[in-house]
Amino acid sequence: MTPVLIGRWQTRLFLMLTFGLLVTIPFVIAGGINPAIVLAFVTVTGFFWDVLYTFIQKFHWDHDWPASFQFGAGVWEFIILFIAAFGLGVFGPLNLFNLFFHYWAVWLTTFLASQSIMRIIFPRWRFFGGRII
Amino acid sequence: MNKTIKLTLTDLQTQDSQQIVTQLPVTIGRSKSKNSVVLPHPMVSSQHAQFSHDGRVLWVEDLDSRNGTQINGRTVSGRVPILPKDDLLAGPFHIFAEVVEDSDKLLSSIPNLFQFETVVEEQINAQFPTQQSRFLTIGGGIGSFVWADTLVVSGVDPADIVALGMEKKPYGRYQRLCFNSQIPEHERLRSNSDSCPDNLWGWPGYAVREIGYESAKGRLFKAFGLAWQIFNEPYVQTYTPKAGAVFDSIDQEADRIQWDKIWQFGRVRAIRKTDHGRYAILYSGRDPETGQSESHVYYCNWLHIAIGYPGIKLLKQLQDYRDETHDFHRLVNAYEEHEHVYDQLKQHGGTVVVRGRGIVASRIIQKVHETRQRTDKPIFVVHLMRSPKTAGNRYRLGKRAVEHNWEFQPFNWPKAAWGGDLRVTLERANDDKRDALLDQWGGTTTADREDWKEIVDSGLQEGWYQIIFDNITHASADHPEIGPITLTLKNESGEDGFIRANFIIDATGLDSDINSHSLLHDLVGRYNLPLNPKGRLHVSNHFELEALAHGPSRVYASGVCTLGGPYAPVDSFLGLQYAAQRSVSHLVRNSESGVRELGGLRSLYQWTRWVRGVQP
Repeated sequence: MTPVLIGRWQTRLFLMLTFGLLVTIPFVIAGGINPAIVLAFVTVTGFFWDVLYTFIQKFHWDHDWPASFQFGAGVWEFIILFIAAFGLGVFGPLNLFNLFFHYWAVWLTTFLASQSIMRIIFPRWRFFGGRII
Repeated sequence: MNKTIKLTLTDLQTQDSQQIVTQLPVTIGRSKSKNSVVLPHPMVSSQHAQFSHDGRVLWVEDLDSRNGTQINGRTVSGRVPILPKDDLLAGPFHIFAEVVEDSDKLLSSIPNLFQFETVVEEQINAQFPTQQSRFLTIGGGIGSFVWADTLVVSGVDPADIVALGMEKKPYGRYQRLCFNSQIPEHERLRSNSDSCPDNLWGWPGYAVREIGYESAKGRLFKAFGLAWQIFNEPYVQTYTPKAGAVFDSIDQEADRIQWDKIWQFGRVRAIRKTDHGRYAILYSGRDPETGQSESHVYYCNWLHIAIGYPGIKLLKQLQDYRDETHDFHRLVNAYEEHEHVYDQLKQHGGTVVVRGRGIVASRIIQKVHETRQRTDKPIFVVHLMRSPKTAGNRYRLGKRAVEHNWEFQPFNWPKAAWGGDLRVTLERANDDKRDALLDQWGGTTTADREDWKEIVDSGLQEGWYQIIFDNITHASADHPEIGPITLTLKNESGEDGFIRANFIIDATGLDSDINSHSLLHDLVGRYNLPLNPKGRLHVSNHFELEALAHGPSRVYASGVCTLGGPYAPVDSFLGLQYAAQRSVSHLVRNSESGVRELGGLRSLYQWTRWVRGVQP
C-alpha cells in the first residue's frame, strides 16, 4: 500500500470506529469500560505514529508500505500500549491476557478490512492514498 | 476495362493497417521488385499470392508460398474465388480484399463532408450509414474494456456503449506483443497483484486468487510462498501475475459485461463535432450483410479514446537499414515475431546484438540463455548501450539500485505514482515540473529478478555476454539475405568501431508518438489541441480533452497518448483503471450523462455480483 498521511488518519479513524468498536464491544461487556479507553488510546496515539510512518515510507524508492511493515507497526504500538498500561498505569487495572487478546483481535480485523472491504466499499480509496473523503 | 481492387492489410503483430487501391491483377509478396504490393515479413514468401478478376468473380491464387495463404482458416491450393465476407491471411497479414466500383471516392481517406470543425448531421445522414450510441470508446483494447467495465458496473446499460476496434479480444494485441517479446501465457507480467483489468475494486487480487488456486490443488507450500511474497514485497521478489491468468480473467469479465455486444469491428478515421452538440465518428467497418468494408458514422455524446501504441519503433539507423533492405530476418524489433532468431542460433550459433535495457531486453537475454543451454553451438550476446549507468535515479530520500548497468525497480514507475503521494505530487505540479518528475521516476528499468541477475552475472563471467557502450551510426550487409550485418559504431569519446552480428534485436520499445497515429494526428491538427510537455494529448485531471467539450458532450482519453500529464503510469492496467474511474466520476457530475456514483453499499452489492459471476 502507498497511503498518504491524511489517508492514514481517515482510514485509521474509520476502521477503529467500525471494526475496532465492534470487536471491542464484547470486551466492554465482559470487563467494563477499560477496553474502550484502550481503543481510544491506540487510535489517538496512532495519529502521531502515522506521521512517523509516512516519513519512513519516503526512504523507499516506491514510497511503499509493505504489509509486513503494517505488522511491525502493530507490534510497536502494542509495546507502547503495554508500557502505558503496566509501566505508567494509564488505564487502571488491566489483565495482560485480555489486553493482548483485545489488541490483536482489533489489529487483525482492521488489517484484513484495510486489505479487502475498504477497496470494495470505497472504490477510489486505493487510488487516493487511503483517503475516504 | 481492368477492375480496381481495394486491399485492407493489417499486420496482426503491430496492428498497423493500410489500405491500398490498385488495378488488378495484383501480386503480393516480400520481394520489392517482383510485386505490386510488398508485405515485408519473413513469413511472407517473395511472391506469395495473386489476385485477379475474370469479369465476374475475384480470384486469389497462392503462388506456392512457403507458409501458405488462408481463406477463413483454410489453406488455399490453386486458384479459388473470394467471396465478399472472406478473411485472408498471408504470414502475419490479415487481408480484406474487395472490388471497387467507384475507386476515386476511396482514395481520399477523409471525405469532404468531414473537412470541417463542425459537421452537419443532415448531410452525413444522406451519405453514410449512421448509428448512435450514448457512450463510445475508440480502440477496443484493454483501455476501452476497462472504461466500458467501469461504466457498466456503475449502472450504464451495455446497449448504450460501443467499443470500436480491430480485435475481438480486448487483450488481443497486448497478448501478441507479450508473446513476441518472450512472455508466453505461463510467464509473469510486470504488473501488480491488485492491478486487475477484470475487477475495478482490485480485490481479490491475482495473488489471493493464485493462493486460493494452489491451496485447492493441495499445494500448500506454494500457496504459503505466494502469501509470504505479497506480505513482504518489495523485500522479497515482488509478486506478479501470470499472463494467462490475466487473460482468462478478462475473458470472464468480458462475458459478464456482454463485451461481445459492446465491441464492433471498426477502424476510426476521424472524430468531429456535429451541429447537434455531439460527436460524429467516421470509421471503416464491415457491412453486416455483405461483409464488405465500408465507411460508417457513429454519433455519440460521451467519447473515450484509448488507441494504445501506434506501432513499433526501431532505432533510426536500424530503421534506415530496414527501409533500404527490407531485412526482417536479421534485424528484428523485440515486439515482432522472431522465433527464427532463436531457431537459427540453436542450429548454427552466432552473435546477437541487443539494444535496450528494459524488461523486454531482460526477457530476450533470458531466452538466449535458454537457447544456449539447448545447443553446443557458440552463441554470443553483445549488449549495445549508449552510455554506462553507474548510479540509479534519485528522488528525495529514495534511490534505485543498479547492477552491471541495468537499473531496477519493481514496476515501470515508483509504486506511489499509482495511488500514493507521488500521484498527488504530479497532479499538483505545473508542466515543467511534471516533465522533470517523469524523467526522474521513469526511464528504462527492469525488474529486480534473481534469475535475470544471475544470467547477466554468469554471462559476463563466462564471456558469452558482453556490454559495450556505443552508438550505431550505420548498418549494412554484404549480402541481401545471408551472412552478417555490419554495424558501424561511435562511442562517447568519438572513436569509431564496428561489429558484425548475425542478428540484431532492438528492444527499445514501442512508438508512442501521437503523430504516428493518423486519427490523433488529424484530431490535433483539426482542433488545434494543446499538447503536454511530452508532446502527447493534454488532458485534465479527469483525463478530459477539454478543448473538445461540445455542449454537454465530452471527450476523454487514456493510455500512452496522455503520458506527460497529471498521471505517470497511464499505460499500465491499474493506470487505465484509474483513468476510467476519474473520467467516469467526472461524468457523474455531468447530470446529462445519467451515470450514477458507484460507492458504499451499491459498490458492495456490485462486487457480490462480480463474485457470483452474474451480470452487473
